[in-house]
Parts: sequence; C-alpha cells; structure tokens
Amino acid sequence: MRSISLFFRSVTKSLILVSFLSSVAVSSASAQDAAAGAAIFKQKCTACHGIEKAVVGPALKGIDTKYDEAWLIKWIKNAPAFIASGDAQAVKASEYSPAMMSAFPELSDDDIKNIVAYVKVGDPKPAADPNAAQGGGSGSGADEGVSNFMLFGLLAVIIIAFLVVLVLNKVIQTLERVMLQKKGIEVEEEPVAKDRLAGLKKLTKNKKFILFIVLVCIVFLGSAGWKGMWETGVHTGYQPVQPIKFSHQLHAGINKIDCQYCHSGAFSSKNASIPSLNVCMNCHNYVTASEKYDGKTSPEIMKIYQALDYNEDTKQYGTNTKPVEWIRIHNLPDLAYFNHSQHVSVAGIECQKCHGPIQTMEEVYQYAPLTMKWCINCHRETEVNHKDNPYYDKLIAAHDKLKKGEKVTAAVLGGLECSKCHY
Amino acid sequence: MESNKKYWKGLEELHNTKDFVEKSKNEFAESLPMEEVLNEAGLSTVAPRRDFLKALGFGLGAVTLAACQKVPVNKSIPYLVKPEEVVPGIPNYYSSTFNGHSVLVKTREGRPIKIEGNPNCILSQGSLDAKGQASVLDLYDASKLKGPVLNDVDADWTKVDSFVKAELLKAKNAGKKIRIVSSTVNSPSTKAVIADFASQYPNTKHVQVDAVSYTGIIKANENSFGKAVLPRYRFDKANLIVSFGADFLGTWISPLEFSRQYVSKRNNASLEGKKMSRHIQFETGLSLTGSNADARLPLKPSEEGIALLNLYAALGGSVSGSKPLANNPNAEKAIALAAKELSAAKGSSLVLSGSNDVSIQILVNAINALLGNYGNTIDLDNPSYQYAGNDAEFVEFVNEMNRGEVDAVFFLNSNPAYEFNDSKAFTDALSKVKLRVSFADRKDETASLCQVIAPNHHYLESWGDSNPVEGYYTIVQPTINPVYNSRNAEQGLLIWSDNAVTDYYQYIQNNWARTVLAQSGTTWKELLQKGSVSFPARTAGAYSFSRDLNSVVQTILANSNNLAKGGDKAIELHIYQNVAIGDGKSANNPWLQELPDPVSKVTWDNYAAINPKFAEKLGIAELDLVEIKTDKYTITLPVLLQPGQASGTVSVALGYGRTKAGKAGSDIGKNAYPFLSLVNATLQTAVSASISKASGTYELAQTQTHHTIEGRNVVRETTLKNFLKDPTSGTGHAHVNKYDLWNEFETPGHNWVMAIDLNACTGCGACVVACNAENNIPVVGRDEVRRRREMHWIRIDRYYAINDGGNKLTKEEEISELDNLDNVSVIHQPMMCQHCDHAPCETVCPVLATVHSSEGLNQMAYNRCIGTRYCANNCPYKVRRFNWFNYWNDSRFDNYMNNEFTQLVLNPDVTTRSRGVMEKCSMCVQRIQAGKLDAKLEKRKLKDGDIKVACQQTCPTNAIIFGDGNDPESEVSKALKSERTFYVLEEINVKPGVGYQTKVRNTVEV
Repeated sequence: MRSISLFFRSVTKSLILVSFLSSVAVSSASAQDAAAGAAIFKQKCTACHGIEKAVVGPALKGIDTKYDEAWLIKWIKNAPAFIASGDAQAVKASEYSPAMMSAFPELSDDDIKNIVAYVKVGDPKPAADPNAAQGGGSGSGADEGVSNFMLFGLLAVIIIAFLVVLVLNKVIQTLERVMLQKKGIEVEEEPVAKDRLAGLKKLTKNKKFILFIVLVCIVFLGSAGWKGMWETGVHTGYQPVQPIKFSHQLHAGINKIDCQYCHSGAFSSKNASIPSLNVCMNCHNYVTASEKYDGKTSPEIMKIYQALDYNEDTKQYGTNTKPVEWIRIHNLPDLAYFNHSQHVSVAGIECQKCHGPIQTMEEVYQYAPLTMKWCINCHRETEVNHKDNPYYDKLIAAHDKLKKGEKVTAAVLGGLECSKCHY
Repeated sequence: MESNKKYWKGLEELHNTKDFVEKSKNEFAESLPMEEVLNEAGLSTVAPRRDFLKALGFGLGAVTLAACQKVPVNKSIPYLVKPEEVVPGIPNYYSSTFNGHSVLVKTREGRPIKIEGNPNCILSQGSLDAKGQASVLDLYDASKLKGPVLNDVDADWTKVDSFVKAELLKAKNAGKKIRIVSSTVNSPSTKAVIADFASQYPNTKHVQVDAVSYTGIIKANENSFGKAVLPRYRFDKANLIVSFGADFLGTWISPLEFSRQYVSKRNNASLEGKKMSRHIQFETGLSLTGSNADARLPLKPSEEGIALLNLYAALGGSVSGSKPLANNPNAEKAIALAAKELSAAKGSSLVLSGSNDVSIQILVNAINALLGNYGNTIDLDNPSYQYAGNDAEFVEFVNEMNRGEVDAVFFLNSNPAYEFNDSKAFTDALSKVKLRVSFADRKDETASLCQVIAPNHHYLESWGDSNPVEGYYTIVQPTINPVYNSRNAEQGLLIWSDNAVTDYYQYIQNNWARTVLAQSGTTWKELLQKGSVSFPARTAGAYSFSRDLNSVVQTILANSNNLAKGGDKAIELHIYQNVAIGDGKSANNPWLQELPDPVSKVTWDNYAAINPKFAEKLGIAELDLVEIKTDKYTITLPVLLQPGQASGTVSVALGYGRTKAGKAGSDIGKNAYPFLSLVNATLQTAVSASISKASGTYELAQTQTHHTIEGRNVVRETTLKNFLKDPTSGTGHAHVNKYDLWNEFETPGHNWVMAIDLNACTGCGACVVACNAENNIPVVGRDEVRRRREMHWIRIDRYYAINDGGNKLTKEEEISELDNLDNVSVIHQPMMCQHCDHAPCETVCPVLATVHSSEGLNQMAYNRCIGTRYCANNCPYKVRRFNWFNYWNDSRFDNYMNNEFTQLVLNPDVTTRSRGVMEKCSMCVQRIQAGKLDAKLEKRKLKDGDIKVACQQTCPTNAIIFGDGNDPESEVSKALKSERTFYVLEEINVKPGVGYQTKVRNTVEV
C-alpha cells in the first residue's frame, strides 16, 4: 500500500509542478523581471533583508517609491563607497544600523532592476496559486486526499459494475420467464426458492465441501497470522505526528542542505543526534518563511522561537525555555548496539540506504524494517570499504590468504558475529 | 619442577567435611523442593478436563492480551542549545581528584559514569583502587540529603546562612570557642578558607582527627628527628621489607602508591633481571599484605613491641629489656633471620610497623636509622600529607565541649559520633554546644545531632584541590551540575565569615594563581587539562637517631604486659580496616559492601576472625556467634575460622555497624570503633578482651566456599631459587596432551588474549569494582551471595597452602593432621571467563547463545539465552553468572541498583541483563569495538595499548595485560612468551585465551 500511495503522491506532485510551471510561463512578461529578481534576492539579500519585515537591515517594501532607481543601483553596488562619497540620502540611510551593508559589485544594473521589481511585486499572493501557498502540512493532506479518492473511485467502479451485472442478471431472468410464459409454459415461483435452500442444505452435508471450506479458512487465517507475527515489532512506515512539521523534503531535497549540517553526530558518533535548536537558529534567525504567511513568521518556525523563548522583535532569548519533544521513529531495541559513524564515515554508506528517500519526505517515516534479518542481509552483501584505510590492511591480507578472489563483505570480516552488535 | 603443594580454597575443602563433600556435588546451595513437588500435591492431584481447558483458555487469552499492548512511544529530546563539547554518544573525560589521586572522570551526556586513574598522577600512574572506582556510585546515592536542614526541617540556604551567622556572632561576642572538626585536610584552598574564617572569628581552631589515626608515626618522627611528618616510603627502592602489622598494600597510608612501588621490584621485568625483593610480614590477622609476603609469621599484638626490641638488639642496637618471645619460637627464629638479612641490605631495606603507638614507632625509627634507610627508602624531606590527624587534640576538644567553652562546632567529612571510641562522651559533650553544624551529605550519626546540616557536594560536583604529598598539587573539577541542593562546605565558611570572595571556584582560582600556578608557570587551563602540578622532589636527607631508648622500652614492655594479661577466655583483640570498607565512610556503597574481603572472601559483614586450632580449644565452631567483651564495650559477632591468624587473638574489622549510613549500609555488621583504646594520647588498635560463646549461629555471605577445585592444580608457584635455575619451574607443562577433538579456530584478524602475572597481583579487588562499573553488573545483596548468586564477572580466588618448615605436603590426610594452621601461604588468582578456543560452554548451549568469534572471544548473546544453565555447569572455571532476578527492576533490590537515580551510573554502551539469562566476562567487548572504530575513523592501524579492558586499566600493579595475540610485538604476546606462563587446567585442553604467570616466592630455606 505504501508503494501505491507513494506512486500516487509522486504522480500528483509532478502534475502539480508541471501545471505550476506552465502557469508561471504563461503569466505576463513583466513578471519575468520579478522572477529573476526573486532568485537573486533569495541568494544574496535574504541573509539581512525581508520584504515585509526588518531582519538585520530594514524591511524593503516600498523601497521603490522611497528612492529612485539610479540611487538604489549605486547603493546596492557599493554602499560603503556611496556613503563615503557624501551623498546626503546615503548618509541618512546609513544611520539605520551601525552594521554597514556589504558591497555587491557583481550585480549588474539589470539585476538590481529585477530585484527592485521583485520587491515591488513581492511573492505571489496565496490566492493566485493555491498549491504554492498552502503550507507543507496541508499540501501533503491534499496529496493523501487525491490518492484516497482514486482508491475509493476504483472501489466504487467495481461495486457499480457488480451491481450492474446483478441487475442485468435479474432482467435476463425476468425476460426469460416472460418468454417462457409467452410460450405457454407455467413457471412455479415458490419451488425454485425451495430448491435453492435445499441445494444449500445439501452442500452443508457435503463433507468434501466442508473440508474444502475449512481448509481455505485455515490457510487464510494461518497465512494472515504468520504474516502478522513476522511483522510484530516491525514498524516500517511508522510516521508519527511530530511536534514541529519539519519537512526533510524542503530542507534536504529542495534546499539541498547537507545531512551532516544538522545530524553532525552521524559522522563521528554512535548517535546521529537530532540537532539542538541553536543549529536551527543558524538559519531561522532570519529565514522566517514570512512570504508564505502574509508577512508573519511561519507558525512552525514560531515553535522554535517559543521553545527557546526567543523574541523575534527584540531578538533576545528569554529563560522560559521548553525543549522540543520529538517522537523517535527509528528505534532499535536496547539489546542492539548500532554506531552511525562506523556505517557513515568508515563504510561510506549513504543515509538513504537505511532511511530511504529522506529528501522527498514531507514527514519522516521509517523506511527500513530495522530487523536483524535486514541488518544481516546487508552485512552479507556489502563489500567492506577498506580502500585507503590502513586499519584493514592486515585483515584483508589475512583474508586474501583464506579466500582468494571473493568479495570481502562485512560478513567475511566477522560482521555476523553476535558481539559485533550485542553486548 | 612440579609444585606438589596442596592448595585449598577454604577450611571446608581442606578438611573435606562430609557436609562439604555433599554440598559440592549439588548445583544449588539449597536443595530444590523437587521431591515435594513430585510426591505431594504436584502429581497426585487430578486436574479435571474442564479445569484444564479453563486454564488453557485463560492462558491463551492472557497471553494474547499481553501481546496486544501498544508499542510505547519513545521521545527523543535534543538539547536546546548544545554545549560545544558534548556530542551525544561520545564520552568526555575530565581530570579531577579522588583522595589525593588525580583521576579521569568519564562522562556521557553530562553524567559521570566511570572513574579511571590519571596517567599523569605521580602516586597512581593511571591506576585506581577499589574505593576510587566505587566513588562514582556515591554520587548517585539516593540516601543523600536533598537540601540543607535547619533544626530537623528542610530549609533554604538563606535561612541557614542567617541562622549560622547570627549564632557565630553571638559566640564571637561572648568570646567562646569555635571549632572546625575534620578528617585530614590536605587541600590548600580549604586550608586557606579555614584560615580566613579563623581571622574573622579569632577563637576558631581547626581540629583534624582521622578515624584510623597515624598520630603515632608523626609524633615519633617529631620525637626522633624533630619533624612532625608522615614520611614518604619508597618501596621501589627497598630490596627487603620487614613489616610488623603494616598493611601497606591494603589500607596503610597510601596503598595504591605502595602497591605499584612494591610490585615494581617483583614483577616480570624485575624477574627477567633476575631480581626480586623480599618481604617478611609479622602480623596478627591475615591481611592482604601478609598474604603477599614471602614469609609471614603470626604475631600477637603484645609480642610486636618485644619482637621489634629483639630485632633492634639483633641488629646490634644497644637496648636493654629485650627478651625472647617465649610462646612464639617461629617468630623468634624469623627475627634472627630477618636481622641477618637486614644487616646485609643496609640502605635498601625498610622496616615498618602498623602500630599507632609512639614508642613502637620511635623504636622502628631507631631500627631504620641503624640500617641507614633514611634518605634511601624513607624520605622525611618530601613528606606525605595524606594523614595529619591528632588524637590528643580531639580528646582535648571533647573536654573543651564538656567544660562548656565551645559555642560553635563544624564537622567537615568527620563523623565522631560513629568513629570516636567513646561516642557517648562525645555526644554528651556535643549537646552542650550551642551551634552544631555538619557538612555531611546525609543525616549520618553526627549530623543527626546537629541543628544545621549543610550538605557538601560530592567531589564530582565540586571544585577543590589537594596536596597529598610534598610538591604535588591536584585539582578537583566538577563533572556534573549538583544533583541536589547542596553547596561546597568551603563556600559556606566563606559566606559565614563575610569573605570578600564568596564563590569558592573564584577563591580556588585566586589561591592557585597566587601560589602554585605562579611558582610553576602553568596556566589554569593547562592545570585542568593535566589535572595536577608537580614540583621536583627535594633531596631526601639522611637522618641519624640519637635518642635514649630506655623510657621507650619501658613503655613498650608495660603496654605489652597490659595487652597480654592472662585469663581463661582472654584474647588479644586486634582491630583493623579491611580493603573495601576501610574506615566506614563509604559504607553505603553497595559495590564496596559486595566486594569480597581479599582474604576471607566475606561480603556484607564483619566477623571475629579466630585461628581454627585456637577456636577448637575454646570450643567454638565456624559461624558460631561469640561475645567479645572489654570492660567498656561488648559485641556479638559470627566467627570466621581464619588460617594464619595468630593463636590467642581475634581480629575484627572497623567500618561496619553504621546506624545512619543509608539504605544499603545501615546496620551491616557491628561497630568495632568503641574497642579502640586511648593509650599515651594515641588511639590503639589492640586491646585485651575476653571471648565467650553466645547462643546461635549466623551465616556469613562468603563467595569462595562455593566451589571446590577437587584437588586440581589451578594455581602454580615456584621459589625464586628454583626460578633462577629453571624459569619454567612450577608451570607443570609436562602434562599437556596435544590432541584435539575440535577443529582449530581461525583468528585471521585480531586474537584478543590476556596475560595475568600472579606475582604482580596483590589481590586488592580494584579490578572487581572497575568491572562492576564498566559492565553494569548488578549488586545482589547478602542473602543472594549466601545462595552463591553473586554476579561479579571477575573474581579473585584466594588459595591457601601450608608451609611446614619446607616440607611439601601432597596428601590430604597429612594436611588435615597438621597441628598448625598458623603457617599458611596464600596465592591470589584473578579469575574470569578464559575465552577458551575450545570452550566447553559453547558445545552444550542448545540455542547457540554462546559462540566463538573470529577474534578469539567467547561471545554471549543475552537475547538468545533461554537460561538452561548448561553452560555454567560445563564451565571448568565456574565463571558464568546466572540472573536469578531482574535486578534492575525488582523491589527486592531497591537498596542497591533498582532506583532511577542510582541507575544513572549505568554505562549506556552495555545492556543490563534481564532475569533468566546467563552472563560472563565479555573482555569488555564494548571497549574493543570502540577502540577498533577509533582506528578506522582515523584511518590508521590499531596500536597495541589503544584498547584497555576495565580490569587492566585500573590494576594498581599492571598484573593484567590485554591485547592482540596475533601481533607479535604486543605487550601481551611478549608476556605470554614468558617461561613462567601456564594456563589454568591446561590438561583438559580447552585452550584458554588467558595465560597466567607463576607466582614466585622469594623464600629462604632455614
């Protein structure tokens, strides 16, 4: 089921994307400037500026009316020099903050015009594009609805077809009776029904039939039970609701933030470790996603601020802190020892091997079964990454003596032994 | 040469009593009620079909329901702001100080879980004793106070401060005395705080008193050489050690330092140079030190002074009053021999006495001066500050209180209501003091008599420093935020004396910046990193002795007569400290309570140790309760028959009988402090007493009467003479059969093996506690030990052997007919899973829960184990332990480890085992894996010494060496190549991975 719904989800997503892109392409040519400006703005400006809101520098809304374009080009290209030149407006602007705006000599005049155009237009309004405007969470809900709808639709079609067959059957029977009556043959209604019941009664006395039914039941229940028992304690697909709707799709997929940026422990320690909130604040100090929320900070990002008791306006941290209680998804039993750094740093295994397509997950779910069988299979199949690691020299040499030419898997080097993981 | 000595684990085995033979055949200590079950209700009743079906149905339903529980939701809560140095899953190490020894504290996610010796420590050089290992558990002691107490009510610090300040002011204005009573303080900053306090309140005096005092030595040195100090003894320079009752490997002054020094003259390196020191011990009870001696002679306390007089005379010292030891011809002979050897080893010998009597210590000084030991093996110019208590000062303090002169008293790390010999006099006097403040971390015997209890931090929570020996300064740094609302005692004193600096951390920094850091040119950060600062030692001067000994001799003879006053049931009572509990300050530490005494192997109790033959004469049998009586005090204790105990004496350990130690330690054993007697202003540990049989018996929880070695040669020893002739002597190699039933195990990569030098192991038990801490080994308590269910993965087996004037004894009958159980020799043998290549346990496990690894380890998969215990039955070394209970979640074990707070000490890299599974030494596989991973991450080869197992890491004498047997250059490979190497029960060809080196005794044939 998981794979089906994933399939539907990806299909619907690509559809949405295509429609969005085409709608953008169709829209007016003047927006072209704003779109180009948006890209540059996000790359160069968002560290210090917001459109609606002051970050480090002032909010930029209305900048196009306040200053003329030529002035703005000069200011953005090299503000320090511009101020030094003694331009009265520039000197006044510099009094906003002791921190001086950096120079951007790499921007062309057109670039700056585009940025100004973007600032003027701002982000597309929610009403303009419902898909883009709705937050990550509700978006995924819509996805779920589509796939469910299709499933229900399919089911409805089957049921309707069945009903149609039944009705047609009845019609045919009635027609046959009418035809027979027309031919003058009397048809007794009652005995037919009696015969039917009698047939059923006869069937219940048929030992072979009963045996067959019992066997079918046993096989069905048995296989269901067997399957159920195998999957006891296996939580593949476990997808709890987290206190913050954090999207790996957005962070790791779209923004391509390296896994290690947040999960630094994975490379050096046993625990991959959930990042502490100070790591979040490295970016969310100024990334507030306010363009999607009418200029207000995203409610999910607000949760970070609340946990840290951080005041957006004064930029002060308070003392009324409250840690975020994430729900653990990948939960190995205490009796198994697992070390991330061994797998990530030494073996060089991709995170996705165990955690699945994490960069596409709106909400994280457990991808791998995390059973011992699954561990062991991988140890049997995976070759040891011994290149350029002198630790393995002796082991590999000894191994080469024992088994020439074969793959040196983790299992060959003792990776299946109990006390590699259990102690 | 094959040793034909006969070894035995306990008297039961020696005598092969019928009862013991019967019992040794049984798997369980108590017979299982199988017969009852089978004969009576069990089988005779008929279960009707309907009942059977009901039970079946209910069972099915119950199991189904039980299985239907929801999987618990696990939370994962990250730091809000992660401290830079913490990476979850990676331990941090901080340097700190325990008891003057610089240590490294291992913390995980901010909680200390293990203490290890700091390799920079000049005293321990990276090792640590049992008490140090166990000290981390005291941090998580649930019996501690959660905050300050004022007049028996929980209070806050401001209230306490204002109350104490007001009372102090009253005392000051009234001109009354203020006293700070503490055990020895060698912390420079604490001393400075007390000095500052005294300048604010000029009537203040600091009284130092130690539960077990060394006043005798300090006074004697003052008398003999004008230096009131405890000297530093240099066992690493002594070729001949003659000790009279000084348990320097176990409890005397600085045992950790002494053990390392002592063994450096006796270990493999020394033997390879064909050299070994010689050690003669004269003592009353069989101590850890006595058990390691080359020659040990039982000596009554009353004979000690006379023996020393005789020795002095035999060495040519001019002294009157020496007289032969009428009742102890063996000792007499040994003294003559020792005198001869001592004269030959002038300048490299050491004569010691464990007595606290000034006269005896003056005589010892005279002997050492005569032998020219000052400046060589005894250093008076770089003294030790580990003990500075003064018995007389404390007695005077009690008198002052009695006279009503004292208005305020502070107790710092001192508990006189329990430790002082006349606790009634003390408590009566204390009630006359207006302000009574205790800094105890719990409501102990003294604190419960105080109005104010201002709980002090545990050392792992606090800043501090220490100056244990001249020129060596160490720092105490906190490794966790204070768990409870406690406060540094020093901070309290600073606040109450209105000091300009009230933050103790700041105070220490200032103090160090002014003194040690300025002198040594180190910075504060460097200090924290290294843990200590040491200055080059001064040159030890030679001292000559020129006092007249006449009055000393008279005192010694008088004391001896007092001790030996006759009577039918008269005994000489000898009070001592044992290795684990010591003076009883950490009596509430279950790891220490369950650590078996190195010699008697008794846990959770003290007892009256009596020589078996003497007991027979008195009509007392083992485990009988006896009443020991002096004119002041009487206690009833169970008897332990102790071979090697001097006839006519009884030994009783201190540190037990605490009434307010806490959940685990209260009412364990009996208090022996009241027996101490004040003679010539020092507290004496020997006293004349009488013994009589009381009604009833009491079963002691001993760990080593549980199994029999069935006459097999498990330990091997040789003499130095034979060793020099033939290094393989005593190893018994001749008997090994070289055919195998099983295929060879291949260990292509690493082959983890271990070498244990029986000549270096002193039997101190540090490894046992280190293993407890590292491997989450549960404490089972006294009753479970009685049922042979202790869980220690490593144990130290103690074997007795009888010396009969050089005649070796082979046959059991001959031994049991011996009159003399005085003259026993002892071997200590650490025993843990031997990780056999052909492990008998592996072949009998029906579920393959214990299998062999390609690295030579015998692995134990707890979750596969179904608890048949076949493996334990088939193990020739009896090292497998069965979890009879879920010790971590069973209310019966609440006093030990079953509470959330204490469980914070657990090592998160090791699972806690559940009920019904077998466990055993894993050779610290978590450390092996971590060491390998470090090498892989750093992309380098694994170096020898990268991985140290817990027992090896803490061993004060480096007796345990662990490493890769496939690396010919590794230390362990070299050690196993030693000619002394043997494997235990080599003849059954299980190919153990642990090799032992024979014990070598430097005996001299008379």
